[in-house]
Amino acid sequence: MKAEIQELLAALEAEGYVAEPATATAVFLSREMRKPLLVEGDAGVGKTELAKVLARLLGTELIRLQCYEGLDVQTALYEWDYPRQLLRLRLSEGRGEDPREIEARIFSREYLLERPLLRAITHPDRSPVLLVDEVDRADDGFEAFLLELLSDFQVTIPELGTIRAEHPPYVVLTSNRTRELGDALRRRCLYLYMEHPSLEKEVRIIRTRWPEAEERLAREVGRFLRGLRARPLVKSPGVAETLDWTQALVTLRQGSLEPDVVRQTLGCLLKDRHDLEALTPSDVASLVALAREESP
Amino acid sequence: MRNLPLRLARLGRALRAEGVATTLRDELDAAEALALVDPEDCEEVRSALRIALKIARAEVETYDRLFDAFWRDEPEVVPVARRRPPAPPSLPRGRALHWDPDTRRLEADAGSAPAGHHPGYSPEAVLRRKAFDEEWSARDLVRMERLLGRLARRLATRRSRRLVPSRGRGRADVRGSYRRALRTSGELLSLARRARAVDEPRVVFLLDTSGSMDTYSRFLLTFALSLRRAAPRAEVFAFNTELVHVTRSLAPDKVRLTLDRLAASVADWSGGTRIGACLGDYYDEHLAREPAAKTVVVVLSDGLDRGDPSLLADAVRRIQGRARTLVWLNPLLGDPRYEPAASGMRAALPFVDHFASAHDLESLERLVPHLAG
Repeated sequence: MKAEIQELLAALEAEGYVAEPATATAVFLSREMRKPLLVEGDAGVGKTELAKVLARLLGTELIRLQCYEGLDVQTALYEWDYPRQLLRLRLSEGRGEDPREIEARIFSREYLLERPLLRAITHPDRSPVLLVDEVDRADDGFEAFLLELLSDFQVTIPELGTIRAEHPPYVVLTSNRTRELGDALRRRCLYLYMEHPSLEKEVRIIRTRWPEAEERLAREVGRFLRGLRARPLVKSPGVAETLDWTQALVTLRQGSLEPDVVRQTLGCLLKDRHDLEALTPSDVASLVALAREESP
Repeated sequence: MRNLPLRLARLGRALRAEGVATTLRDELDAAEALALVDPEDCEEVRSALRIALKIARAEVETYDRLFDAFWRDEPEVVPVARRRPPAPPSLPRGRALHWDPDTRRLEADAGSAPAGHHPGYSPEAVLRRKAFDEEWSARDLVRMERLLGRLARRLATRRSRRLVPSRGRGRADVRGSYRRALRTSGELLSLARRARAVDEPRVVFLLDTSGSMDTYSRFLLTFALSLRRAAPRAEVFAFNTELVHVTRSLAPDKVRLTLDRLAASVADWSGGTRIGACLGDYYDEHLAREPAAKTVVVVLSDGLDRGDPSLLADAVRRIQGRARTLVWLNPLLGDPRYEPAASGMRAALPFVDHFASAHDLESLERLVPHLAG
């Protein structure tokens, strides 16, 4: 393994993010090649968290753009501060200033409201991390616009001219695959598919986040989750659910899994009515027995 | 590592031969990534190339196999058959099945499907439940066409979440109003408004015209025709042994004429079917070239395929990945005794968003919300 990737892996873990080597490789390549990183995977595998940790690691600001259907340029890129412009206009008129001067003043950077994308390319002193979260939720028109921005890191504002990034941001895009992204966007990025973590990884993640959880409990939780994910579920629980559940068990002062407690806290893991109903008490009992098998 | 450019080019070619769409640009990315990682670490090179070549999850198996050859520096990888889709789920036999949209799974019915029960009499209600393969009078047909037209109009007016400037309706747009006031040196003379945009769905019908579908073709075509009148962007394709774009031969208001024209232009009308190959053609020639996630694809077919089931499953999987919604209408599903035992149908099912019957008007009506998706 390349030394830099090993260091990155250790640094990520020091920040509380236990990563697979492939994840560290992807972050490393994206940083070195200065290409956006597109991360796909089920909900709760730690896609968004990766961007946050990256920002902490680089000691830089995290700028987040949450995508949704109907997201428009005014929310994502920039908007003029109309009320303040009007106010300025009224005041200047009263003083009888030159209209051309007034115009130049109210269409200056001072009256420009920077939204996440513009903020990401105008950072004054260092490259920030730009997180474009759930890009699959935005309409495809927005996707095309994003593509343009990501290729040149520049934006043209009619009243101001072209703004070019002096410190191009590190870009992380995440997608839950509610729809397939256009090929052009995917080709522009580096691509990482995140799987659920392996048993060893998951136990380490639990221990890192909830040191109060005893080793024995963490292992049983990990094995229980592995058994649970092997079942056909509408919504498979992710790492986020594992951590919620562990927190619940720690709060209830559990040192080991008990079928009754597991049943009562299943809501932390399964968030779909069909999944909850499909899991009978005997299913829970056998999953718990399986999880406890190797415990002393 | 020796001969790297050549080996990378070989890997790219082998991937393309197996249907993984990698481009020259991806190969250049791969070369750049390769220079950055430890060339002796097999797993690290494996993930670096996977990341740089943008290998999607469904293609990882193919990639892993080809990567092994790349790593061992085998001179030429013999392309094997196209990647196989996951095996279709095994279905319980002997009972009627229905499609559960929540679990996306076929469920066995406890009893048989409820028979057509008529709570009250109204000509329209009866009409709605009249199966398409029964006798229809001329008056029924006219009434049906009117009903279908209404459904189609409802379909064509889906509202997007996007807000666009509008006149006189919608919510007040404070920012827009200020912006407008700038023109009148700061006087707020009128209020700007924004309303949800009308998003015209692109609906594509793929109509199976094989012999087994003959009795239904007329009705499904009528539906497609009325929809086209309300949503001009709807397209219709017919297929049996090959795919034909028939939108232009459609004559609105003249279903009979259209059917005759179609029969003349479509080779082997009412013959056997090669559903998988035809749907694959549709994807490659049409859907792949459209902007993603705009199109609602409706397949009207009984799934009685003479071709290779894995071909069908593969085509359906690709279509679902790119369409807004994939609806499969099967007229046979209205028959409580039916179970989708046709191997093609079973292979395709895991990738269908809505699997519904289309044997009477009521079933088509239930479909409308899904089409507007």
